[in-house]
Amino acid sequence: MGQERFADVVERFTHGYGNGHGPDPSPEAVRRWQEELERNVKRMQNLQRMVTNPAELKVGQTPRTEIYKKNKSRLYRYQSTRTHRTPVLFVPNLGISRPYIFDLMPGGSFIEHMTREGFDFYLLDWGVFGPEDNDLSFEHCVTKILPRMTQKVLESSGAESLTVLGYCMGAPLSVAFLASHPEVPVKNVINMAGPIDFSKIGLFGLWLDKKYFNVDRFVDTLGAVPADMVKAGFKLLKPTMDLSTNLNLWWNLWNEKYVEGFNALNKWANEYVAFPGEFFRQWVGDFYQDNKLFRGESVFGGRPARLASISCPLFVVGAHEDYIAPPASVRALLDVVSSRDKEYVELPGGHISLIAGRGASLHCWPKVSGWLASRS
Amino acid sequence: MADAATTNPLFDLWRKQFEESAAAWARMVTQAQTPAPPPTDPMAFWRPVLNQGVEQWARLFAQTPATPDLAAQWKQFIDQWIEAWSKALGQVMNTDAYAGTMGRYLDQWLVAAAPMKKAGEQHIEQALATLNVASRTQLTAVAKQLVELEERLERMEDTLGAILKRLDDKERK
Repeated sequence: MGQERFADVVERFTHGYGNGHGPDPSPEAVRRWQEELERNVKRMQNLQRMVTNPAELKVGQTPRTEIYKKNKSRLYRYQSTRTHRTPVLFVPNLGISRPYIFDLMPGGSFIEHMTREGFDFYLLDWGVFGPEDNDLSFEHCVTKILPRMTQKVLESSGAESLTVLGYCMGAPLSVAFLASHPEVPVKNVINMAGPIDFSKIGLFGLWLDKKYFNVDRFVDTLGAVPADMVKAGFKLLKPTMDLSTNLNLWWNLWNEKYVEGFNALNKWANEYVAFPGEFFRQWVGDFYQDNKLFRGESVFGGRPARLASISCPLFVVGAHEDYIAPPASVRALLDVVSSRDKEYVELPGGHISLIAGRGASLHCWPKVSGWLASRS
Repeated sequence: MADAATTNPLFDLWRKQFEESAAAWARMVTQAQTPAPPPTDPMAFWRPVLNQGVEQWARLFAQTPATPDLAAQWKQFIDQWIEAWSKALGQVMNTDAYAGTMGRYLDQWLVAAAPMKKAGEQHIEQALATLNVASRTQLTAVAKQLVELEERLERMEDTLGAILKRLDDKERK
């Protein structure tokens, strides 16, 4: 470089490494370079905005009314045309994350989709538990909270029966409740990515095996499972997730729509919720370690939970790349209920992308609303 | 886009090599349970993966013209690299050896953390009592009482509801 003239460097830069008289770049190549340059400028602008002036995100914008509250838990009813007579009670997971993922942003919301389709939609938000709730158990949710919530749904809707839609941990919670309370007038059950047979649960099942994980010592020492520990557990399940997420962010950083969606999802993905200690003890002990519900050994409030007592129409949705609730563990519900009208679909995506995001709006939501519409 | 005929075999070669190197790495980790003499070369552990990567990058840059498509190819390669590593790590984490090691570490940590946590809480309780300030335990107890109170009210509401329903039924009759 020291021997080179600056003009030679410029010449090579503008005309390539040939003899200086090489072919001119095609207009197509020039256009693509310009596009790439513009994208990079936008990337830098958006990155600067994300770092220095992060936008205030509005999540959960579908209009709703609080129908009932019990301790930290809330029951919300969403505005809709209510063309279908049977109300839908949506039961998500307790702990781990907040339920606004189901109503993330206008145009990207499962709840918005369901209300637009005319369903009378209710959401059970379990809430964020504190140390005063460490004694709250899985059994308490099944025998105290869920019966109350279903009663309130029926009262406020004026309907005689309801559909119960469980997502993730909400599915075994709902199924345990319905199996131990056969008198509940349930018209349909939907299980979305909810593990039922824990012998097929995958990595978490191995890590939480009795041989390696002492749940009693864990709960007795910590009292509850702190949000940071929940986060660590999930991050460990897919250690490369953050890397690929950030790489995809950089790649799409020029796209305002992508950045908006990323910000909303990122807010949710980093807002972990602690588990009440006793809930975690029972969840890990009875489900991951002993698989009691699937084996018909669960008893809640003195009532045996027999999955065969569920005889209403059943729709089960599994996600092909779900490593939290593998499809086989979700699908297993079909084999143990006595319903005649039962159907299973396995859709592309993972545990979250099954229900949130663009893929969900194309694959999952229409399937769920379509199946339910003819039965409501 | 660059010529698909030239890039596709390259992608396949890249993917194959990375999968092989990631699998080799996973084998090394899972086989490492039997005691082995310490490696003389400190880079020996990572060398298979690094060598593969460097060779492939060199071939790629030698063959690919410098167009904006290079960025797309780079992204695709990185995605595949992450996916290969994800698979390799998944294989390692899905072993009894890994679960056992993690369980042991967690147990050791809990055994060590329990007395420290207890001592810390006692210390804070004493300090707050000296300052005449309510402690976390006291506040938690109050919150628990409120939860219990809510439960009781609910049960009373249920009983009242049931009585009113019976009265209504009687009146109708």
